[in-house]
Amino acid sequence: MGKHLFRYSENNKERFLESDNITFNDGSVVTPEEIWHYLTVEGPEKYPGSFEVNLYQGNRNSRDETLPTSLKTHYLGLTFCDRMEKAKDRGKSIAFIQGGQAVDPYTAADTIALRPGLVNQWNRDRVHGNDINKEFLRRKELKEKAFHDMSFEACQTGGYEHIQAGNLRVDVIAPFTVLRCSDVSYGVEAHRHGPNKNVKLLNVDYPLRHQADKPWAIEYFAQNLRKLVGTLDEVTGRTTTEEDLLASIKLHNEGRRLGTELSELWWSTDVPPTNSADRASLVGLGNLDNHGDVRASLSVLKEAKKFIAERVKNGVKGHAVPDNPKRIFILGSCVGINTARSEDSGAIVVGKDDQWSHCSTLVEEEGDPFYNLAKYTLEYPYEQSIEKRAQWTIEQIKKSRADGVIFIHNWGCNTQAAVARPILDVIKREIGIPTYIQERDLHGLQHEQEQNRVNAFIEML
Amino acid sequence: MSLSENFFAGVDVGSLAAKAVILKDGEIFATGLLKSGVNSVESGLSALNLALDAAGLKKEDLTYIVGTGYGRVSAPYANKAVTEITCHAKGANYLHPTVRTIIDMGGQDCKAIRIDENGAVVDFAMNDKCAAGTGRFLEVMAEVFKVKLEDLGAIALSATDTVPMSSTCTVFAESETISLIARGEKPENILNGIHHSIANRIAGLFSRVGITSDVFFSGGVAKNSGMKSAIEQTLKVTIVRPEIDPQLIGALGAAVLARSFAKKEGLLAA
Repeated sequence: MGKHLFRYSENNKERFLESDNITFNDGSVVTPEEIWHYLTVEGPEKYPGSFEVNLYQGNRNSRDETLPTSLKTHYLGLTFCDRMEKAKDRGKSIAFIQGGQAVDPYTAADTIALRPGLVNQWNRDRVHGNDINKEFLRRKELKEKAFHDMSFEACQTGGYEHIQAGNLRVDVIAPFTVLRCSDVSYGVEAHRHGPNKNVKLLNVDYPLRHQADKPWAIEYFAQNLRKLVGTLDEVTGRTTTEEDLLASIKLHNEGRRLGTELSELWWSTDVPPTNSADRASLVGLGNLDNHGDVRASLSVLKEAKKFIAERVKNGVKGHAVPDNPKRIFILGSCVGINTARSEDSGAIVVGKDDQWSHCSTLVEEEGDPFYNLAKYTLEYPYEQSIEKRAQWTIEQIKKSRADGVIFIHNWGCNTQAAVARPILDVIKREIGIPTYIQERDLHGLQHEQEQNRVNAFIEML
Repeated sequence: MSLSENFFAGVDVGSLAAKAVILKDGEIFATGLLKSGVNSVESGLSALNLALDAAGLKKEDLTYIVGTGYGRVSAPYANKAVTEITCHAKGANYLHPTVRTIIDMGGQDCKAIRIDENGAVVDFAMNDKCAAGTGRFLEVMAEVFKVKLEDLGAIALSATDTVPMSSTCTVFAESETISLIARGEKPENILNGIHHSIANRIAGLFSRVGITSDVFFSGGVAKNSGMKSAIEQTLKVTIVRPEIDPQLIGALGAAVLARSFAKKEGLLAA
C-alpha cells in the first residue's frame, strides 16, 4: 500500500511567490518560485517521508501554508544535506560540535558548525526515496551499532559513528566536554579509540561549578576559545582575526535579538499566531545555527518576524491550533513532544529552555571578543546552578503564560536526569503550576507510551 | 425503555483486558470484561457488546461513549477518547468521594495518581519503559511457579520470610526466580519477595506525587491480596478496595465522563 503524501496547495502559491528570496552565506539567492518548485516537485520525490501523512507527524494533511516562512524553514531543512555536501566539495570546512555551544567562532572562522541534530538531518536526507518507516529502520540500525561501539547509555552517537565510518566529511570534532551533556565523553572516547584517526579532536574545556563571576574562569575559557579558532584556522588555512569574531558576534546578536523579539511577539497575544512546530522552527532561527547557513537563517527570520507581527495584529490563529489551548513549556536537552498530537489533545507548546537560553542572552560587542564570548557562554542560564536555572525558567514560564511544565530527558542523559526533579520542585514551590517528568526511550518511533502520559498531563491541566 | 432514560458507556481497552461499563443515568447498569486481542477495535466492541447484552440494550440506545486505555486511539465507536489516568480518577471518585490517592496496577503499567474532591487529577506518575510491577510481570511469575495468577497473593501471604529480589526486569527476574528455586528457597518466600519488590517500585512512584488518604487500589492486580498487603506495609497506609471488580474502574470513570460530556453537549434526554 502506497503512503499518502500531503501536497502544498496551489491556492497559496500566489501569496507565497510574493514573499522574499532567501540569501545564503556565499551570496547566492533562491527565489520563492524555486522554493515552491522544490517543495512541490523535487522535495516529495526525494524525501517522501517528510511529506508522509503519518501519526508520527500528527496525521496532518496540511501545514501552515499561508505562512510563507513556515514553508521556507521546511525548504532549508530539506536542502541542508545537499547544501552541506556541495559546500564541502567546494572546500568549506566542517566541525562537529556538541554541548550547547554558540556558533559565533565557527561563523568567524568560515566553518559549518554541525550539531548532533543536524547530523541526524544530514543522515536522513543523504538517502533518497525513504518513507518514515524505512528511515527509522536505518536510524535504528546505526543506533544499535553505536550501543556496542560507545555505550547503551549514550544519546547523541550518530556523529561519531558516521565520522568513524568515513561517511561524514568532518574536519574537526570540537565538543564542550563538560557542559550539559554527560554523554559527550562516550563519543570522545569512542573517537580516540576508533579506527579513523584523520579527524582532529579538540576538547573545549568548560570550567565547572558555575564560575561566571570569576575573571580567571572567563579568561581560562577565553583561552580555550582562542585555541578552538586556532584549530579551525589550521584546517581552513586562513587567519581569523578579532575583528572577524567581533563581526560574527554582531551578526549573531542580530539573530538573537530578532529571535527574542519574535518570541515576545508570539507570547504577547492570547491567540497563538502559529502552531507549536512553526513557533519552534521560527524562534529557533534566532541562533542562526539550525540550517548550516547563518545568512539564510537570518533572512528567513527577518521575514518571519514581519509575518508574525501581522498575524498578531490581526488576531490570526495558527494552523491546527485548538481553541483556548493549554499552554505547555518544555524543559530539557534535545527533546520535544509530538506537537501535532498534543495540539489535537488541546494543548500548545509555548516555549523550550535549552536553545532559548542562548538566544535570549546577548554577547557584549565592545572589547575582547574572546573574553566577551567566554563570559556569555559561562552565563548561559541553562548551565547555571539548579536554583538559578530554575529562577530563569520561572521567568520564561511567566512570560509565556504557560499552564504546565514537562521536563523530558533521554534515557542516559545523566545531567538532565539529575536536575529534572529539583528544578521542577523549585518551579512548583515558587509558582505552583503542574509539572511532569518524562524519561524518554532513545529513538522510539511510536512514542505511544510517552504520548499517553503527555495527554494525561494535558487532561490534568 | 423510556425516552427519558439516558445510558452512557465507558470502554477501556488495555493491554491484557477490555472492559466496558454502562451507566443508566448515574447508576452502574451493566458491565463487560474479556481478554483483549491484537485488534483493539474488536476487543473494545466485544466488551461493549457484552455489557450491552447484559443490559438488554443496543448500541444505538447509548447517549454517549468514552473510550480509554491504549485502544482509545482507534475506537471508532466512541464519541471521545480520554486517557485512563483521568478515567481511573473519575471512577474512584464515583465509588468513594473521599479517595485522594489511587494506585492503579494494570497489565503493562502502574500509576500513582493524586486527585481532588471532584475526582480531577492533581498529579500522577507512571512506570517508565519497564513492565516490572504490573499484571504481566505477575503472570510471568505465576507461570514460573505453575500456579494460577489469582492464587499468587494468597501464597505470598503464607510466607515465613522475604527473599530479596535484585532484578526488576521481568525476564531477568524470571531467571533469578528459577535460580532461587534451585537454591532451595521456599516458593512462598520468593513470592513474598517478589510482591515486596513490586511494592517498593510503587513506593518510588509515590515519592514523586505524595500520598493523601484515602488510598484506593484499582486495576487487575488489585485483586491480589498479597500485593495489597505488601503495598500497605511498604507505604504504611490502609487501602480501600472497590466494591466492584477493580479492573472495571477505568471503564467506569470513562462512563462517568461520558455522562458529563453528554450533559455539556446538551445531549441528555429530557
